[in-house]
Order: sequence, then structure tokens, then C-alpha cells
Amino acid sequence: MGWVITMQIRLAGFGGQGVILAGVILGDAAAIEGLNVIQTQDYGSQSRGGHSIADLIISKDPIYDLIVTKADVLLALAQLGYESTKESLREGGLLIVDTELVQPDKEFTGAPFTRIAEEEVGLALTVNMVALGYLVAKTNVVKKESVEEAIRRRVPKGTEEINLKAFRIGYEEGTK
Amino acid sequence: MRYPFPVGAVDFIQGDEAIARAAILAGCRFYAGYPITPASEIFEAMSIYMPLVDGVSIQMEDEIGSIAAVIGASWAGAKSMTATSGPGFSLMMENLGYAIMTETPLVLVNVQRSGPSTGQPTLAAQGDLMQAIWGTHGDHSLIVLTPATVQEAFDMTIKAFNLAEKYRTPVILLTDAEVGHMRERVYAPHPDELELIYRKLPANEEEANYPFGDIHGDLVPPMPVFGKGHHTYVTGLTHDEKGRPKTVQSEIHEKLIKRIVEKIEKNKKDIVDYEAYELEDAEIVIISFGIVARSAMRAVKELRKKGIKAGLLKLNVLWPFDFELIERIAERVEKIYVVEMNLGQLYHMVKEGANGKAPVELIPKIGGEIHTPKEIIERIKDNLRWG
Repeated sequence: MGWVITMQIRLAGFGGQGVILAGVILGDAAAIEGLNVIQTQDYGSQSRGGHSIADLIISKDPIYDLIVTKADVLLALAQLGYESTKESLREGGLLIVDTELVQPDKEFTGAPFTRIAEEEVGLALTVNMVALGYLVAKTNVVKKESVEEAIRRRVPKGTEEINLKAFRIGYEEGTK
Repeated sequence: MRYPFPVGAVDFIQGDEAIARAAILAGCRFYAGYPITPASEIFEAMSIYMPLVDGVSIQMEDEIGSIAAVIGASWAGAKSMTATSGPGFSLMMENLGYAIMTETPLVLVNVQRSGPSTGQPTLAAQGDLMQAIWGTHGDHSLIVLTPATVQEAFDMTIKAFNLAEKYRTPVILLTDAEVGHMRERVYAPHPDELELIYRKLPANEEEANYPFGDIHGDLVPPMPVFGKGHHTYVTGLTHDEKGRPKTVQSEIHEKLIKRIVEKIEKNKKDIVDYEAYELEDAEIVIISFGIVARSAMRAVKELRKKGIKAGLLKLNVLWPFDFELIERIAERVEKIYVVEMNLGQLYHMVKEGANGKAPVELIPKIGGEIHTPKEIIERIKDNLRWG
């Protein structure tokens, strides 16, 4: 997927999947590269289980449109998140899903991110980093190295290595 | 001095966090607050940072106590701040007046949410504009700044402290839930890059005897520091130049209040700030502020692409208000639109400024959502069509 001037990216899942953190890390990576970026979020009041959406607008120009209206990329990690956001994906936009948790009714790409996190990384909690790696590989919205720097800055101390591992496995999956 | 966050560096942070960091860079060392959405993150950040910079951050019993503590800390010599939203802002109104009357430098951040009352706690609005300027009773003046981006929230917080110290007045940073919670790329300057202003202190004991006297002819009296041995009396009652209550003499009241108003009004040129975009040949001008000015900017760019001569005036300071600037614009344009997230507040000020020289139309929106550029464009195009 090629870079346009502005990319609208929406990450959707349920609370506890780390969707917001993945959004913050992606935004941080864009900021590291000197791109303009805004990140907003919407989530239920539950700490687990409610819907959870992270929106990013990344642009080479100053950002005046603050709301994701026509997403270029939609990453859905749960059916709930998919159902509530699928209308926001623009025609021809890229839909990425966890293929074992989401049954999309339109063209998509993806991988079983949650199973990969469990079996290959060894920690289901890292599903957000696996999916983020896949998204970055598919879109080239930011460089792999920028995301790795952002991961080191943003994840809880002591978990850097396992998160980086998850991100790299997801990235590999995305280049296949 | 070591700062507990990156300086001279770019970061990716929320507006609320930016305000807290900027305050500390501006020299703020006292924060008192009461948690309230969407301003709580300012308090959270202050609670983490203040102990690391030898400052104090305390939770008070409510918002009335919060601003009262800030006033006290300011008189003890500390640059001080509080932040709140919605109902908390209403509770602060009485002591805001006390701060104006006692000429106490402080920064009050209002991260606006939708009201009235508890309203829509998590959603943005611009419904407190008139309250920010006129919410406390009696004749008065103060300064109101308003940011549209996280970077502006950062920069204007520093400016707010500088203006508060320079003019010995409360300064309100009027932002909203969108700017407060949104993360953006922000450059936090290194302290060496900053020009910080500190209040004027009495040069000697004689000057300290006149904490409310215009002894330098600049309308801003030097401010004694509590605990430095001066015999200073501070009261919300009308007072003379020495601070002694004089509640029935009309000339003393008039002199005091006129000076408090004039120290802002006469320095309007120094305080007022705005961004003009494509105004030179504009036939249609949008006037807006804060978060929604960004949608207005997109609308102007799109209208220009369609061959419509549109321009934008984005106000960064809402009080003092440059009525003359609005009139100068009104004299050479066909129409002014005011885009704001309320049912019409800036609109009335713009109408007064335009002074009948151009029609002024309001494009309002409430309910917690920002106007989309499309909504603004459609409204303007409809008018051009039906004209």
C-alpha cells in the first residue's frame, strides 16, 4: 500500500486487547519520523470487554480534519469492534482482521493474531503488537525501526523484549 | 535543574499532559485541584511531576478550595495553577473574582465539556466562553487564551504564566475535551529557549507599603511576598493603595476597578494574538477559535479550491477582545461567519465588533461533536446559492 499525503487509520477491538496502546505506539512512531499525527480514542467504561477504538490521522501536511471519516486502514481484532466500525472504511481501503476472531463481510487480509501471540510469542497479551507489526508491514505508514523505538518508550518496563518480539513476528507475517 | 519529562525534544502526548509539563517549565511550583473529567489528567501529571521538581500538588476538598489554595500560594510567592471543567469552573467563579480584586497572578485551566450542569462529561464544547470572561460578578477584566492544538496548549500555558505575572492577574486557559485528550506531536522547548516573566516585587519597604498603588505608572503595582516581613493586608473588599478596606468611598472604588480594567485594556496590543489566513482578498471570513478553528481552516482551504474567496480569523486570545480588528475586517468583506461549539457566544462579540459593516452569521453546534469541514462548507455554499 502506497503512502498518500494523509492516512486515516482506525484500530478496533474490545477492552483489554491493547488497542489504544497500539494506537499510541503507532502515533509515537509517526511523531518520531517528524510526521504530523493526532490520536484520539473511544472506549467503554469497562476496563475489559467493552468496545475500544483508537483513531490515528498521520499526515505530511498540518492536520485540520480531526475525525476519522473515511479510514484508509481498518484493523479489527474482534467482531464487536468490526461491526461498529466497518462503515468507516473507505471504498478500496485496507481491512486487516484477526482471521479467527472476525468474520468480515468484505474483502480483507489478516492472520490469526491472537493465536500467533499465544503460540509463537508465548503471551496472548501481545496480540496488539503482533497486529501492529502486520499493519506496519502491509501499509509502510511508518518505518519498522520507528515503531521499535516507540515500543521501547511506551510499554511497561521489563516487557520491552517480548513486545518487540511480538511486533517482529507480526511484521514478518505481514511481509508474506 | 532536571525535568521529569523530555525537554528540547519532541514527544507524543495529550493536551492535558502538555499543559502540566508546560506549567512546570514556566516555573509553576504549586498546583491544587479536584479531579474532574476531562481535566483530571492535568492533576495526575502534576501529582507525579511536582514532588520531582520540589513543587507541591494537593487535592483540595472541592474546586472552591482549589482556587483558594492557589491564591494563597501565589501570595506566598509561587507561580500557581489549578485546572477544572464544567461544574468545577462554576464553583471557582467567586474566588476568581477574589483573585481579580486582589490582583493575584494565577493560571486557571478550563478543559471545557458540554453543559450546563454535569452535561456530557466526556465530550467537548465551547459553552464557557462568556462565563470565562464575565462569570464572576462585578466590573472586572482578566485574560482568556484558547488553544486549538496540543502544541498551542503547551505554548499558551507558558504564555498564560507570563501574562499572569506581568499584569498581576488571573489568566484563564480555555481549552476543551478534544484538545485535552487528543495526542499530538509536541515540541517541548529546552528551558534555555524560554523567556519567562516573574512578577515585580517591591524594591524597598516603602514600595511594599503600596501593594495596590500604581507607584510605577504602569498600572501594575509590585506584589509583596507573604512571609518576607512586609505588613500586607489583602482583602476582597474595595481597598485603598495600602490594601486597607474602604467600602463606601465611591472615588476609591472607581480608581481601583478602573485601574484593574485598564491594566488589561491598555495593554491589549501586547496581549491580543490571532492567526489570519487568506484574509487579504477574502470576501467571506470565518471567525473561530479553539479546536473547531481547525475544521474552519479546512473549510476555507476547500472553499478556495472551489474559487470562493474565503478567509479565516482564528482567535488565540478571547479577552481582551479586539473589537476594532473585527470592524476593520467587516469593512472590507461581504460576510462574516462565526463557527463555534455552542449556541452563539463569540457571535455576539463579533457582531458588536462588526458594527453593522458586514452581516454576521452564526454556525453553531452542540452535543459534543466538532463541526466537520463539510458542514461548514455546505452552510456557506447554501447561502451563496440562495443568496
